[in-house]
Amino acid sequence: MAATDSSMQHVQSLYSHHGWLLAWLRRKLGHVSGNAEAADLAQDTFVRIIVAHKREQCGVQSSEQTMQALREPRAYLTTVASRVLFNHYRRLSLEQAYLQALDQLPEIHAPSPEERLLILETLNEIDAMLQALPGQARSAFLLSQLEGMSYADIAVKLNVSLRTVKRYMAQAFEECIMQES
Amino acid sequence: MASPLPSSTSSSFSSLSSAERAGPPDRTIARQAAQWLVKLHDEHVSAADIAACDRWRAVHPEHERAWQRAEAIGGKLAGLPGGVALQSLGRSNRVERRAVLKTILLLMSVPVGYASYRTLPWQQWSADLRTAAGERRTVMLADGSKLILNTSTAVDVRFDSEQRLLHLHAGEIFIETARDPLSKELQTGANRPFIVRTAQGNVRALGTRFVVSAADTHPRLASSTNVTVLEHAVEIRPAVAVERARVIEAGQQIRFTGTTIDAPQAADRYATAWVDGRLIVNAMRLDDFLAQLGRYRSGLLRCDPEVAALRITGAFQLDNTDGILNALPDTLPVAVLFRSRYWVTVIPSPFSS
Repeated sequence: MAATDSSMQHVQSLYSHHGWLLAWLRRKLGHVSGNAEAADLAQDTFVRIIVAHKREQCGVQSSEQTMQALREPRAYLTTVASRVLFNHYRRLSLEQAYLQALDQLPEIHAPSPEERLLILETLNEIDAMLQALPGQARSAFLLSQLEGMSYADIAVKLNVSLRTVKRYMAQAFEECIMQES
Repeated sequence: MASPLPSSTSSSFSSLSSAERAGPPDRTIARQAAQWLVKLHDEHVSAADIAACDRWRAVHPEHERAWQRAEAIGGKLAGLPGGVALQSLGRSNRVERRAVLKTILLLMSVPVGYASYRTLPWQQWSADLRTAAGERRTVMLADGSKLILNTSTAVDVRFDSEQRLLHLHAGEIFIETARDPLSKELQTGANRPFIVRTAQGNVRALGTRFVVSAADTHPRLASSTNVTVLEHAVEIRPAVAVERARVIEAGQQIRFTGTTIDAPQAADRYATAWVDGRLIVNAMRLDDFLAQLGRYRSGLLRCDPEVAALRITGAFQLDNTDGILNALPDTLPVAVLFRSRYWVTVIPSPFSS
């Protein structure tokens, strides 16, 4: 119980910098003044921090981050918020690509708004997962899993050796397995 | 392979429990599992490999858990529409951070221009730039700003030493302003204001770069200008009630007349779809949809009142409005009557009761 209390105290003390974080995010977003976007991202930042604290209690993560959070709360907040921000931009670029892809479908095949949202959520999840992979490895994995292409065909398409394709696939599978959530 | 429902990735506390229960497995185990997966996805996989893999999975619960994590992803991938997923996930420009950050967008529409432009064609002729129905045009302005004209648009460009002025007579424009090169030349550091003027007033860009777009849209909304700000902000100054000037922020859209400014609303996220030649609508009334579509066509496009309230959703390519009309009966209980290319009426389908 003591651990939980002190952990929640950390989060609470970090929360006192909420206004500062909001201003930092607004500046990064390049908007003149406050809007819902910055507020959402600040919220996401704190959710991430709380999740990290919970993990730490379960012994999943070291307390290194907590130490940094106590010493330099704002530096810690910006580290986490930068990740949130990057994720935000990644999602925007994904949405853009998704809409462009939808455009090329005949109208009759256009998914309903609900379907669109579900697909986008799944795409986002997978996109985040593949983010860490080099471009070629990502291509190889997608061609195999989405197009059902054989390793030999992928090797020809990407102009690499069969052995390289297998290495890419192993990298991608490993990344999938090591996902946080 | 079962394909589980896509779960939300938004940061919610409900996702916490599973993360707590099962963090990532040991790296070595993940690597082994990955090797097995590579083998089993190979078209030359042998029965012996499959059996060996099954044995590996049975050796330790952590092996099986690593395997299941990969399977779950495979299931999700299998549930996605292939072509669309490949294009979205395989996009080359992953994070266009700079582009996203620096663009300031502003959208405007001036419905009143529609009427005056039909009745007073000279205004259109006198415009520096104009587009016909269905046409779209991108212009680089003298200061490096980018201007895109939507269908049936007339705009004058008037730059001088004091200001950068666009006079929008009719239609819709999208502007991405550049930092004023003159400010560097004169070393004043001050940008000449960038202003879009309509019959209802001035829209002034606040920021270094922005995009303006204006459209004549709906007869119901006559005598007003619509502005959508996509990044940074603009100041609206109604022509008559200048004291009502107010700043509109990114993510907002607003309608104003010469004397009033409506309350801002959340910007339509597809407001700039036309820039890429598409129209994206969500449960839009059919008559509103046809009014939108009509802007991109010459001639008459009528909607029978009996089908006016039907709803339509989708992404449509504006370069083929005939194609869109022809496809309507596939999704809605309507028939499309082409009296000529220039006189089209959408009526109830004779086959539905």
